[in-house]
Amino acid sequence: MKKIFFFLLTTAALQNASAQLNTSLAVSATPPSALTEWNNRKEVLTFLVQPGAGLQLNYKIKTEIKLSDGTVIGRTDLARATTYTGISTNAVFYAGDVIPLENMIFSGKYKSALEKTGKLLSDNYQICVRLVRPTDFTPVSEEKCRSFYLASLQLPILLKPYNEEVLDATVAGNIIMFRWSPVVPKQTTPVTYRIAVFEVLENQNPVQAMRSNMPILDKEVRGATQYIWQTQGITSAYLDHLVKDSTNKPKQYVGHVTLIKRTIKPGDADSLNNNENIAAFVWTIQALDANGKPLGDGNINGDGVSEPVVFFVRGKVKDIKHDPGTMKTKNE
Amino acid sequence: MQIKQLLLIGCLVNSSALIAQEKPKLSVSGNMGVSYEGYGLNRSPNGWTGFNQRKPWNQVRFTFQPTITTPKWTLPFNFNFATTPTNAFGPYANIGKQNIGQYITNPMNNFGFNPKYKWAELQLGTQYLNYSNLSTGDVGVFGAGFDLRPKIWRIKFFTGVSQQGINFFSGGPNGSYKRKNWMAQLGMEKEDKYELSFNFAKGKDDSTSVTTPPPGIKPQEGFTMSVVTKFVIKDGWYINAEGAQSLYTKDLAQPLSAIIKSFKPFMDAHTSTIKDYAAEGMVGKKSKNFDIGLKVKYLGAGFQTVGYPFLQPDRIDYTLNTRFNAFKNKTNVTASIGQRVNNVSNTALKAKQFIGNLNWFSQIDDHWSVNVNYNNFGFQSNSGLNPYGIKNVSNDLGINPTYTWSNTTMSHLLSLSYNYSKYDERDVVTGLVTSNNTHTALLTYVPTYFNKDITPDFSVMYFLNKLPGFKTTLLTVSTGLSMPAAKKKVQLRGQLQYTLSKNNTFTGNNNFIASCNVDCKLNKKLTWTNYLTTNYFKYGNEIIPNGANYLESNIRTGLMYRFDTKK
Repeated sequence: MKKIFFFLLTTAALQNASAQLNTSLAVSATPPSALTEWNNRKEVLTFLVQPGAGLQLNYKIKTEIKLSDGTVIGRTDLARATTYTGISTNAVFYAGDVIPLENMIFSGKYKSALEKTGKLLSDNYQICVRLVRPTDFTPVSEEKCRSFYLASLQLPILLKPYNEEVLDATVAGNIIMFRWSPVVPKQTTPVTYRIAVFEVLENQNPVQAMRSNMPILDKEVRGATQYIWQTQGITSAYLDHLVKDSTNKPKQYVGHVTLIKRTIKPGDADSLNNNENIAAFVWTIQALDANGKPLGDGNINGDGVSEPVVFFVRGKVKDIKHDPGTMKTKNE
Repeated sequence: MQIKQLLLIGCLVNSSALIAQEKPKLSVSGNMGVSYEGYGLNRSPNGWTGFNQRKPWNQVRFTFQPTITTPKWTLPFNFNFATTPTNAFGPYANIGKQNIGQYITNPMNNFGFNPKYKWAELQLGTQYLNYSNLSTGDVGVFGAGFDLRPKIWRIKFFTGVSQQGINFFSGGPNGSYKRKNWMAQLGMEKEDKYELSFNFAKGKDDSTSVTTPPPGIKPQEGFTMSVVTKFVIKDGWYINAEGAQSLYTKDLAQPLSAIIKSFKPFMDAHTSTIKDYAAEGMVGKKSKNFDIGLKVKYLGAGFQTVGYPFLQPDRIDYTLNTRFNAFKNKTNVTASIGQRVNNVSNTALKAKQFIGNLNWFSQIDDHWSVNVNYNNFGFQSNSGLNPYGIKNVSNDLGINPTYTWSNTTMSHLLSLSYNYSKYDERDVVTGLVTSNNTHTALLTYVPTYFNKDITPDFSVMYFLNKLPGFKTTLLTVSTGLSMPAAKKKVQLRGQLQYTLSKNNTFTGNNNFIASCNVDCKLNKKLTWTNYLTTNYFKYGNEIIPNGANYLESNIRTGLMYRFDTKK
């Protein structure tokens, strides 16, 4: 009797062991912080399911996202999760299958952050994945866990020329110094910063100029956050003539469609002699990774383009007030 | 090209017909013109590509801006368009041949017509409508709408297309989805008294609009609503505020979400839909000799609006700005101080940026004036897993004294401008701080003759930039001369500039620039402007091949006709 019992026990144990499916999980150590972006990149997460010997089990994928101390902050809602039919060959799953956002339940501030931004808070996390039976959710594979670090990418902020800075025409006709903040967090490989400067033509607003004109500077700088541009006269070329009216006083000039100069009337000016011509430019930075692909993390600047900044080139100015929407001076 | 020619002919015929109108109650004023810009670049030796083209080889631009006025109607046209697409950033980047829809909606072209009748304005064609700082303002939309202002009420609506579907081609256009936009405003306003308005802006990509979708770009949808209030109180005090909420779907291809609430009928929530808030407020006082204002702006980490495509979210800015005049208006000071915090939602990688600006101008006496400016921008953040945080600090100090004197025949202006700039950057691995120091000195002399029409100017500039292991110097001398000719109907201006630049111990680079302007007033209404420049640059031995050089030339010529049937 004892022998029969031992035989049955051993058989049952073997049967249970053969019911286990083999899995393997690969996760990028520093994936994009926007979880929706994971779906668009196959390299972020790969989950491989190998069939057990002679068995074709149906299963669901159970995923848990944990903090480094083991606290679970997100998990699959197994009741709603997709049931996969076991097949005799390997099955490969990606982020969209393993972390289906429509079936994930996040808790507390992580849920709030995800709803607001599509991102989890910057931190070290662990993702654990295993297969479970669709009926009673009992495990049919070992749990596989991988660690990753999430950091919300911050594109460069343009520091100099700062917004609406006025540069001297003679100096700017030779040299303009550009400075910006680096991509945060610091990337493992040097970032290439593509710096671009555009003229703002008359009748254009700055973003329109950026989206339509050929850049007068289009330079890639690797690793550094400063660039000294030898302009060789291209910025001051427009400032050299001044249309005057019959009294030989400078006059607002609206005649030349290729010119970007416009007349600034200082707020306290009581004489037309204080009017001056000015050229407007807009500059921005596009951050590129080591492969030349834009960094962006799926946000609105997904092509890695920083918020642009306007600067002016002119001789002297007391007070510039312009409407950023129309680029007209307030007095116009 | 045929389309462009037809457009041009249409515009010209239309304008001629309008100008020919002689009804006394009808007037036409405005301007129209055409300009050509040509660019040339010769690089030597052959095959060397060390300097890139900076302008389109050929570009023709047209402007047509008449306003027809009748006793009841005002009909302003705003047509500005060019023949060659030059887009480098955004949805139209690298576009070559365009179809008519792409040409019309390309941001380089404007075709706007805004007929007005009393308080009602019809908006047709290309419109850059700025409803508010947090709803919409930066994107041009081609479509139709209206702007109604009966008494204190404001009712606005506009709908159209901000970008066309453009197929992706490797080596060609980056591609984009067609985006349809609409925007609306309901409010009340009494100018210089108060304003209350509710703004709505929406954009949605059409994922079926392209056959080869742009790689890496997903079809998106965004809806933003905001409320704006402005009050002008007594004695120049004012308060402005705006609060906004945005819903933004980053990828319309992702499934609908049962967890995230939809905002029907405007938007269905997908799993990639995010929702966040933004606000800004200003309070201050304005007067003739004294302004002060406090400004705060907060953009939530998930705040995104289709009306401002490059708005950087997840930040809070606060600045205190002031301006005052003193000593009988002989001293003018403008200053601002504040802080910008980026990554506000993220305590681990919060980045703080200090902002400080000061500009001080004093007219000391009849001869002396001085301008001093100081700027400080400091950026500080953790750097992820590295031992040291990121820290970049930029300091600039500029001093600009000017001395003028005169005798019976001429006056003289001598101006010296000196700027010291220091840029410190910390290495996040070693913690070492690298200083980048720059000195710029500029001396300018401008004599003015009382009895002659010529106006010369002379300047010399020295520039030095040093950082560990690297040094750049520049010495520039330049001179200009302007004078009228042909009974002051022609204005001439010439400029010569020579620059010697040097990096470390390499031999110097030589740069010579010559330019001239010839502006002719052909008659009271017609002006002809011309600009020619040539730029020759020859490298020393800092690059290979040694002695590489290029000659860049640029010519612009334009005719502008200003008309007004009242005169």
